[in-house]
Amino acid sequence: MSTTLDLHSHSEASEDSRAPLEAYLNWLKLRRAERPVDGVVLTEHRQFNKDADYRALEDRFGILVLKASEVETDYGHVLVFGVTDEMTRRFDFANVHLPAQEVIDEVARMGGVAVPCHPGRPNVGLCEHYAKKPPLENVIAVEVLNGGSRKGEDERSVELAQARGYHAIGGSDSHLVSLIGLCATRFEAEIRTIDDLVRELKSGEYAPVDFRPRRKPVPHATPVEVRQA
Amino acid sequence: MSNANNLTYETVQIGDALGPAEFHLSKDQVRAYAKTCGMWVPRFIDDEGARKEGLPGMITPGNMSLAILSKLVTDWAGSSGARVVRMGTTYRQPVMPDHTLTLQGFVTHKNESDRTAEMDIWIESEEGDRLVIGTATVHFPR
Repeated sequence: MSTTLDLHSHSEASEDSRAPLEAYLNWLKLRRAERPVDGVVLTEHRQFNKDADYRALEDRFGILVLKASEVETDYGHVLVFGVTDEMTRRFDFANVHLPAQEVIDEVARMGGVAVPCHPGRPNVGLCEHYAKKPPLENVIAVEVLNGGSRKGEDERSVELAQARGYHAIGGSDSHLVSLIGLCATRFEAEIRTIDDLVRELKSGEYAPVDFRPRRKPVPHATPVEVRQA
Repeated sequence: MSNANNLTYETVQIGDALGPAEFHLSKDQVRAYAKTCGMWVPRFIDDEGARKEGLPGMITPGNMSLAILSKLVTDWAGSSGARVVRMGTTYRQPVMPDHTLTLQGFVTHKNESDRTAEMDIWIESEEGDRLVIGTATVHFPR
């Protein structure tokens, strides 16, 4: 049984999002035919809410909700899956200059997986840092499909993954309710817990999936009248 | 889907669309806005001046983008009596004039306690990039 998860999303717990989790789940329920995702992973910026309990919402909507984090490092942004108390003691998640190699190695040692996200994005992505610094070691996967990417960014991410032999994931990086689930990752295995997710991310048995609608050509434009100042 | 003629808190539904609405934003419109708002600075006036500031060309003031998005919401609300009580935007990429922009949004949730509807709104480029994204809260009177 396969599982499709949106591995990258931000709820109102992140300072740049106003999307309540309940609205995300309701939206996915409404758009089930277009975005057949089984669950979402909340990757809040620079934090991990250990105590948040979403079981009631999971039961109400029949959608899996897992928790992770998006941290900021000297090689760009990194998703951390399988966050433990040991990790939050070892690293200050609020630090925007975390050492990426240590994050990758220590998270792995503590039983999790660290996945660089939107590597093709300027300033906050791996590609730009690889042009100036040695490549990171022990990277398992990178996010090659990101719902917030601009033209060319995902293409650069795919090139990086292919050149380095990284596995590839996808996520919406949604900060708005209506964008949840547009990009996701399909796993071969069933995933019900964060431990399942970490195990499968290490396995490599997955692929990014794109549910974004094909864009129609912009029709002939109509100028808007404005009064000249 | 609800429509502007009989729009009430009760008829608004989660998933209702705002737009899409396409229009061509001209350089003259941006200059007119910049002049009116006292923002007569190179980046909003001509390509050469903007490039001297390190920009790819003339750009649209952020508060003009906000105003354009607010029109999407107020057009949707029409004469229903509903009013915009909050808007918030994130500027992801410069909005360049002399291009066709697409405005779009969706009602994402409702709050019965204060009779408000929340909506996602954004400005999209011809390539489909979301240049400005945001949310708005609209209040419906009883």
